[in-house]
Amino acid sequence: MKKGISMNKWKEKGMSAVFFAAALASILAVGLICFFLLANGIPAIRKIGLLNFLGGTEWSPTDTPPEFGILPMILGSLYVTAGAILTGVPIGLLTAVFLACVCPKKLYQVMKPGVELLAGIPSVVYGFFGMAAIVPLTGNSILSACILLGIMILPTIVEVAESALRAVPALYYEGALALGAGHYRSVFRVVLPAAKSGVLASVVLGIGRAIGETMAVIMVAGNQARMPVSLMKGVRTLTANIVVEMGYASGLHREALIATGVVLFVFILIINLTFSVLKGREGK
Amino acid sequence: MKKFFVMVLLCAVPAFSLFGCADNTTTEGSAFDNGREISVVSREDGSGTRSAFIELFGMEEKNSDGSRKDKMTREAVIAKQTDVMMTNIAGEKYAIGYLSLGSLNDTVQAVQIDDVDASAANIKNGTYAVARPFYIATKGEPTGPAKDFISFILSAEGQKVISDSYIAMDDHAPAYAGNPLSGKITVAGSSSVTPVMEKLKEAYEKINPDTTIEIQQSDSTAGMTAVMEGTCDIGMASRELKDNELTELMPEKIALDGIVVIVNKANPISTLTTDQVKHIFTGEAAKWSDVGEERDLNE
Repeated sequence: MKKGISMNKWKEKGMSAVFFAAALASILAVGLICFFLLANGIPAIRKIGLLNFLGGTEWSPTDTPPEFGILPMILGSLYVTAGAILTGVPIGLLTAVFLACVCPKKLYQVMKPGVELLAGIPSVVYGFFGMAAIVPLTGNSILSACILLGIMILPTIVEVAESALRAVPALYYEGALALGAGHYRSVFRVVLPAAKSGVLASVVLGIGRAIGETMAVIMVAGNQARMPVSLMKGVRTLTANIVVEMGYASGLHREALIATGVVLFVFILIINLTFSVLKGREGK
Repeated sequence: MKKFFVMVLLCAVPAFSLFGCADNTTTEGSAFDNGREISVVSREDGSGTRSAFIELFGMEEKNSDGSRKDKMTREAVIAKQTDVMMTNIAGEKYAIGYLSLGSLNDTVQAVQIDDVDASAANIKNGTYAVARPFYIATKGEPTGPAKDFISFILSAEGQKVISDSYIAMDDHAPAYAGNPLSGKITVAGSSSVTPVMEKLKEAYEKINPDTTIEIQQSDSTAGMTAVMEGTCDIGMASRELKDNELTELMPEKIALDGIVVIVNKANPISTLTTDQVKHIFTGEAAKWSDVGEERDLNE
């Protein structure tokens, strides 16, 4: 009898060690990526000079002497992401409101998998769609990238915002109705504000998706490595800079591309921190 | 304040989409408009095709202090791959780009350079000048395993591998006789020749598994220097050999790579001079009407 208990105890201890190891694997991966990026990127930034690197407006890596300024790409990433938020957030939020508060059950069974499918489409397919359907209208431009990214971040925004709306207790909605507010007034003035931090979190996740997107953007944005000039002209994002030139780069050029990755990583860190803060607030 | 922000958001979306549509109606369906801006499409910095294009059209500014500047216009749309380049040109009426002759297909229109068609025949007889040779070189007469590998490259089998993407030098090459020696061959040099050399290596090692071939990718000059110094057996170069290299090395031309300037099929232009191409790609000619001073584009 006693032996059985101690066996069980050992088994449990053993299994919890296995789970711990599994959990460690992902932390280890994050740690290794951090280490690799910093170890390879920081020396390049030192060689180029932090100010020349972040503030330089000229990117001509194969000239002699080369120039490694990534300000155009930083601005490019920011503009394209902002544009994606402008196009994607209103549509995404209204979709979430529709799905959570308005949609009849039968329609929901079609709409919901539809939105989920949007999330599963590989980004290169989005890219080809963009080249075939958006570029002929708006050219290889910031605008094309914004529209395409706006579509790509829809599922992220819809999913997170919808679950935030659903998490609002039904009492809020019923209370509003009882006080005489109509359906839409209750939804937009009571339920939506109550889900505020979840909705903001959905926007932040959308930003993360937009800034990290690579393949689709490369195919529609034109990828010119110069300061963004107009909505109808092309632009190169941080991610595009890395992928477009990595294939042939060597020496300092290659290191500068990894350093571009460091900058991108810092951006993503900031976004994730914002997300955690918002999430934490929602919990309270 | 918050409401204002939301209003701005909501107004911005339809405004954006209207902007897009308005632009569309003016471009589609109308005849080719010479007054439109040229949309230059280029490959990325570091691409072999780009560096060859820039070199062949003299778009590289070389100064006496050793500095080099790529004069390709900063406005050029950058296509990462050949197929993206072609989709771009096929989809944009006012676009112009370039690619390796081997990748050309009929979704786009090839432009004559100085009235000469870009074809394998014209490149071989030397009338189409926008081409570069691929050389391999050895120090003196090749010996050992390297000799057999070179005889494979120049055989019908090797030339067939080359002609998949480039222009092979000899259409009637003899079949590979095969006198393999086990050993290791080191090949070094041009990054432009490396892809085809990788394919040759793959084909050769399939026939002769006892031979290992190591390919080191650098550039033409480094490759030639390595052969002269004896640190590799075969050097690769994507240019003519220089005099000081020729005194020590035995070159063998294995392929030709032609570069074609391409435009959209709706573009009435069929021929450009070298200078016109240069003006377009350096950004001096911004509109199609700036290009055709010597020729009427609509003829």
